This record gives sequence, structure tokens and C-alpha cells, in this order.
Amino acid sequence: MTCRESENLLPLFLDGELDARQMRAVALHSSRCRPCEQALRHLERMQELVSSAIQARVDEVDFSAFWPAIERQLGERPLGWWQRLGVWWRAGEHPWAVRLPALGAAMAVALAALFFFTRVAPRTSEPAAPRLAAVDNAAIIDSLETDLDSVAVVSDPETRTTVLWVSDNTVVGEVP
Amino acid sequence: MTRVAGRLLWGVVAIVCGTGAARAQAPAGGPMSPAIGAVEVRIGAVVASNSGQGFDQRLAAWQREFRTLFPYSSYRLVKEERQLVPWGGKAGFDVPGGYYVLVTPREYKDERVSMKVMVIEGSRPIVDTTLSLRNRGTFLVGGPRDPDGVLILSIGAHTEAR
Repeated sequence: MTCRESENLLPLFLDGELDARQMRAVALHSSRCRPCEQALRHLERMQELVSSAIQARVDEVDFSAFWPAIERQLGERPLGWWQRLGVWWRAGEHPWAVRLPALGAAMAVALAALFFFTRVAPRTSEPAAPRLAAVDNAAIIDSLETDLDSVAVVSDPETRTTVLWVSDNTVVGEVP
Repeated sequence: MTRVAGRLLWGVVAIVCGTGAARAQAPAGGPMSPAIGAVEVRIGAVVASNSGQGFDQRLAAWQREFRTLFPYSSYRLVKEERQLVPWGGKAGFDVPGGYYVLVTPREYKDERVSMKVMVIEGSRPIVDTTLSLRNRGTFLVGGPRDPDGVLILSIGAHTEAR
């Protein structure tokens, strides 16, 4: 990738709008090309400044009277069916001839629902740990590239798990 | 009397409805299934080190693999995230330590999910690989440095595609 191509793509790279191939190419180029790396840092700085300037202006706006004004315009909140039912029940003008059948019907529905939901079949799945461990985790690797000094592919037949182990030998550290 | 009976009735109804809703929503021992045509990409980030002996209980399913494959004494889960993406879409994950993981599921063939995985440190890609994994499988990427040890990333995919 040339510097000109990279410069055109830097804003999109910063916004994460490139596809993986382009993102990798721009990242690689800017990590090796000092002027492009500086251009990238410049763009990042500019983006930070713009967003902090916008945030500062937003912070200046006083929203304290905003919600009370909306609440005043909304007026009284309409009651939900559950609250209306409660109001009806507490109204006190319904004779027991109405209340008792209503109470009985509600109890019957409640008992039927209780009976139905408690008959759900028992869970047949295993707990999470054994189920995950039983999965075949062996991967087939078609291509592999790295910017680091070394990479190892470990495929353990016992656990059927594939590991890509990368390490940068310029940094001293533990490697299995 | 009227008020007491009313409250009793609403209480019973609320308990029954709550029990039913909870049962109806409970997953059968796992995450919600992705819709057909989409892939659930999941990652976990584990910091491994030789300081201490702790094994994060949330990693219980991986205990055998970790103990067999790696020489560390302590494993701590620092991030877990799932994203549902369409085929060809991109799932991006910020990982503690300044890393970014970009997963692009490509196709589902022979019960395997093919995908492209990039692990980027700052603007430097430290892993760029294309691989296929059995549906619901998980593979590991280890080695990236973390201030507290070494990072081990688990990357998995799950689809209902047929």
C-alpha cells in the first residue's frame, strides 16, 4: 500500500468502516510508515478535539426545566388495565353477587395457570461445564499471518482444542 | 374484608403469572439460539499468570483444557461477550489490554463455521487467520501481553443454519 492510498483510507480506518483486508493493510502500513502514523495520530487528536468541543457545548445547555415542561404537557397519565381493575374492585358499589363470581373466576384461571406451568417437562440438558467440554473444538486453519515474531499452532488430541499461540520475542515473557 | 380478598387474589395471580413467565423464558441450559441465517459469535478474554492459584469458577468448563495446555497457575475471566451477526457481517470486540478482535463469519459447510479472525493490538494485526470450526465449537488464541499476565482469548461460533 502506498502513502497516498493509506492517506485516503485513514478517516475510514479511524471510523472502523473498512473491511478486514483494508483495515489490515492500513494498520500494517501506518505501523511501518512514520508520516502515515503521524497523520493517523493527527486525525485521532482532531477527532478528540471535535468531540470534546461538542461535549462542552452540550454540557452548557440547561436541561433542568426540560422534563418538568414535558410532564406538564402530558397531563394526567392514563391508567393501565391492571390499575383500572383495582379501582373497579375497590369502588365498593358492586354487590357480592358480582364480586364472588369474579373472585372465583380469577382463582380458577390462576389455579389452571399454576397447574399448566408446573407440568413443564424437566430440563434434560446437562450443566454448562460438561456440555461445553464435550464439544469438538478442533479448528481447521486455512491461512494464518501474524505481525509478531513467532506463532505456534497447538492442537491437543486429548482435549480436542486448537490454540494459536503468538509471541513477540522482543518482549521477554512466558511461552508454554 | 373486600380489600384483603382483593389483595389476596392479585397476589395469587401475580405469583402464578410470574412463575409462568420465568419458566417460559428460561433457556434450556444455554444461550438463546441464533436465528437461521445468523451467527452468534462469542468471545471470552482470560488473563493467565503465575501469581496466585485462583481459577475463575466461570471458566469451570475449560479447566481441563487450560490445565493441560498452559503452564499458568491462575486464570481469571476478564471479559465475555456475544454478538449476533449475519453471514459476511463483522463482529468487533474490544478486549482489555488494548486489543480488538474482529470476527467475520463466512459460510456454514459440512457442519463447520468458516470465519476470518483478526486480533489487532493498537493498529498492528497480531493474528490474521481464516479457519473453520465445528458449529458451537471454540478455539483459543493465546500469548498477547496483558499488564497482569498473558491473555488467552476464546473465540466461538454458533449457528442454526442448515
